[in-house]
Amino acid sequence: MERSAGDDRPLSDRDLMVRLAAGDREALPPLMERHYRRLYRIALAYLRNPDDALDAVQETFVKAFQNAVRWDRASEVGPWLSRIAVNHAIDRYRREKRRRQTLTPFDDEARELPSTDQPSPERTALGRELGVRIAAALRALPERQRAVFVLRHYEEHTLEEIAGVLGLSLGTVKSSLHRAIRRLRERLAGLSA
Amino acid sequence: MMFEHLRARRRLPLLAAGVLDGPARGATLAHVASCSSCRGELDELGAVLRLLASDLKPAEPPLSLSLLVARVGSRLDELDRGPGTVRPRPWVVASWAGAAAVVAAVAAVVFLLPGRPRGGNERPLVSEDTLQRLERNVAREQAARYLGEAQDVLVSVAAAPPPCDREKVDMGEASERSRKLLTRGALLVDPEGPAVASARPVLNDVEQALRQVAALESCVRARDVQRVREDLARRQLLMKIRLMKRELEG
Repeated sequence: MERSAGDDRPLSDRDLMVRLAAGDREALPPLMERHYRRLYRIALAYLRNPDDALDAVQETFVKAFQNAVRWDRASEVGPWLSRIAVNHAIDRYRREKRRRQTLTPFDDEARELPSTDQPSPERTALGRELGVRIAAALRALPERQRAVFVLRHYEEHTLEEIAGVLGLSLGTVKSSLHRAIRRLRERLAGLSA
Repeated sequence: MMFEHLRARRRLPLLAAGVLDGPARGATLAHVASCSSCRGELDELGAVLRLLASDLKPAEPPLSLSLLVARVGSRLDELDRGPGTVRPRPWVVASWAGAAAVVAAVAAVVFLLPGRPRGGNERPLVSEDTLQRLERNVAREQAARYLGEAQDVLVSVAAAPPPCDREKVDMGEASERSRKLLTRGALLVDPEGPAVASARPVLNDVEQALRQVAALESCVRARDVQRVREDLARRQLLMKIRLMKRELEG
């Protein structure tokens, strides 16, 4: 853990960001240690693929280093990183969507398999089918609704935090979440019994 | 009455998501208590949300922090070198090839450390201390992975292998996996290295056990396998592997 000079306290996120902005790469590992799990969960919930999610986390920290000088010192670091991760996930999803349009239906189905990188004995055929249906339901949501839903449901951000991360008004966040849940309920009704 | 019902109905998704508060929450809950249709809808919404939550567990990154740090460092170096460089993809999670790539990435970072000849304006990502820690973590992760794979093989031996003939059992797969594991282990795990010093006795025992399994024919007498099994039990090797793997994984 990085510590302040002559002080036993670990450096705060803000201190680390200031060092990053000055081009100090050593500030990156402690910042990553604090945030990479959370960012991975966000990216995984959005992209539904462990490799793509890891890639998104990697690129989030690369961009954080490159854009540290533009970070507003008054803002919180966590939501700022979340915003980079969500934006990267959205970009990646769009690219992937374009690419998938050229694939065969079988390839497409394979991409929608649940988010496990290794086959598990516990993963039954029923569970696999369920994962496919859930992935398809999330995929069918418009981007903004999906981002809002992921941040709320998988990361338990407050509506205010989501508004800050995505740069939306509170009302828009509320209505997006409302619509996302309604849509998911329509598509997944019956599976949850 | 109808207006109240419609308003409550509209609020149900936010109530289910736990973000409805203040008077709106109280009014909606009061309505739900007296409206079976809304209660059913709220139950269904809750069930769908629980289903969605359960689907993503566990969501731990399949890569340790040290490996991720090495990847980010490698990517930043690549960007420093400018356009035209090839970006390594995809992630090869939990594979020996992936571990080898990380070793290469760490080696690249070593090359960029101060005091080493380097050109341009490349900067090191980490200090020497941090780098040593990274290398140590990588070595320990490789050893843990090796032990994990050995554990799989030895568990299949300790369990009941399928019969292949009268009084004979099929050890073909276990034997083949042991041979491959011995080859890869020799390449990537250095039992003499300081990072895995505490694991040395277990690594040596594991190697010996894998050699025993590798030497078995594909269809072998059950009593020959029994001998290997007794040896594993006598040395309590499976338990030692499990404990050591946990220690190495930190």
